[in-house]
Amino acid sequence: MAEMQDINLYLFLSAIMFIIGAAGAITRRNAIVVFMCIEIMLCSSSLLFIVFGRATRTFDGTFMIMFIMTVAAVEAAIGLAIFILMYRKTGSIDLDKFNIMKW
Amino acid sequence: METVLLIILGSLAITGSLMVIFSKNTVHSALWMVSFFFFIAGIYILLHAEFIAMLQLIVYAGAIMMFILYAIMMLNIREELSDRIPVQPLKLAGIALLGFIFLLLLPMVVFGVNHSMLTASGPFTEQIVEKFGHMAVLSNYLFSDFLLPFEITSILLTVGVVGSVMLAKK
Repeated sequence: MAEMQDINLYLFLSAIMFIIGAAGAITRRNAIVVFMCIEIMLCSSSLLFIVFGRATRTFDGTFMIMFIMTVAAVEAAIGLAIFILMYRKTGSIDLDKFNIMKW
Repeated sequence: METVLLIILGSLAITGSLMVIFSKNTVHSALWMVSFFFFIAGIYILLHAEFIAMLQLIVYAGAIMMFILYAIMMLNIREELSDRIPVQPLKLAGIALLGFIFLLLLPMVVFGVNHSMLTASGPFTEQIVEKFGHMAVLSNYLFSDFLLPFEITSILLTVGVVGSVMLAKK
């Protein structure tokens, strides 16, 4: 099966996407861009699930993706509601300004 | 042929995700994210997972990104929130640590695939999946063996809707 030849490329792509998403989530100050970088990380792990599901000819990875997608949609809804509350209370969504829990 | 398509789609997806984190304008980031989801859906089609590709386009690129664009519009992002180079040393240390983690991942990705454990031992060969269709196989098991997670995710969606309405109303 051609899957066995390409599996290293898929893993490499997934690793790069995860590192890019993590770097964006650490670096950016805008809360919405941080949320989009979290979605990039979720996409990279979804790709990994489907790749290994296809390599072992099972469907477990595909089921996992259904539930990951649902959880990502719910997380989008509640996260953006929290951003709206943040904006209403303080007038900005700059994450560097939310440091009252710092020691 | 599939390898060439994978390299093209993969490099376009990496470009899209890099432009998400390097764009100064938030709306540009959101549009690059939509293009990223399109390329990921293309990679899913390459993996013979057509239903997941369509679901990705409808749910991620359709619903979630529309939601994010509405939030960008309502929150009225001004240009001073678009930041350039991180000047805080803690953030630079975080990025250096991520680069180190990537260098640690690299030999595992290239050499470490344990092919003896990755045996094609499941029942779903390509012929069976193409005979019944990807969606038919998925839905057959989703409504029989995986019914409990399915119902729990519907409860989760209800909780999400009620919670976000309660959070965002005045």
